[in-house]
Amino acid sequence: MTSSISDENLVEGTLGGEENAFSQLYDRYRRPVFSTVYRIIQDAEEAQDATQEIFVKLYRALRSWNPRKAKFSTWLYRLAANHAIDCWRVRRRRAESQIPDDSAERAPRENPLGEAIRSPYHEVESKEKVDEIRRCVDSLPDLQKKVFILRYFHELKLEEIAEMEDCSLGTIKTSLFRATQAIRRTLRRSRGLR
Amino acid sequence: MKLPDDRHYTEEELLMHLLGEEVSEIGSAIASHLQKCGQCRAVFQDFQLLQKSILAWKVPEASEDVWLARKVQLMNLFREDPSQRRGEGFLPFLTRLVQGAWSYALENPLPTLAYVIVAVAFASERTITLFRLDRILLATNEVLAILRQVL
Repeated sequence: MTSSISDENLVEGTLGGEENAFSQLYDRYRRPVFSTVYRIIQDAEEAQDATQEIFVKLYRALRSWNPRKAKFSTWLYRLAANHAIDCWRVRRRRAESQIPDDSAERAPRENPLGEAIRSPYHEVESKEKVDEIRRCVDSLPDLQKKVFILRYFHELKLEEIAEMEDCSLGTIKTSLFRATQAIRRTLRRSRGLR
Repeated sequence: MKLPDDRHYTEEELLMHLLGEEVSEIGSAIASHLQKCGQCRAVFQDFQLLQKSILAWKVPEASEDVWLARKVQLMNLFREDPSQRRGEGFLPFLTRLVQGAWSYALENPLPTLAYVIVAVAFASERTITLFRLDRILLATNEVLAILRQVL
């Protein structure tokens, strides 16, 4: 079974020039990488491009992965989150330099295809909540955003994130708490307005 | 004496408890406190609902064809780039060696510093005078000369 091959073996295979090993790494991590990137950039098409760039980066940086320092997945998610934040900054700068129009002022642009696939059965209220959460995540500081996404959606332990970010556990806990509180406040406020 | 579950917990502690990130010793104390304290339970339940809303944020899934096309591009890059293959040249090998040494130095600054000091000390001419090696060498020569005469 392909799934039983460890990440370490696949990395070793890739470094040894085995095309199949790299292909399996891609298949294994394409979705989680895309979901990290998408939640930061919040644009499906740009997130696909960024995912591709991350795998190119990964392939070039594979030799620098140290298995004693971090799990492969943790290392890759960090690479993905950092790259996504860079892309998000470029995107924001681009948006700021453009002449503002009415539609651009609202929620971040969505891929219409993605929208159609994503929420045909969602209740209106829950969709509104998700939109509020998305907007709030978009405005979080970089570290809070990263910790929030990696903890809630990838279930990385805070200790792992702290190690990966080279921060104290306390800093990471505070970042997650602040991010969660910001979202909690936003949802409360919007509930109050309704 | 105040029991560990006899106090209200902070919102941060309750969130960490929900996520299973609290310090293990206080986990059971929080759990038993939550059964008794309506105020903390309300905050905890609020976080539970919030977590549910957060996890409702789904990611759009592009068609398999899109991913397949991108994978083909990526694999082409893999085939064309010889830098990842075994049997790499001397320069990449040297670069990797230096990178490895550098990362070792960053991870273990004190032993690295010790190695550097030892290396510099041995490479320096002053070492010979500092440890009186010149005298030792002279004395050795004299002993050898005496031994030669005796034999």
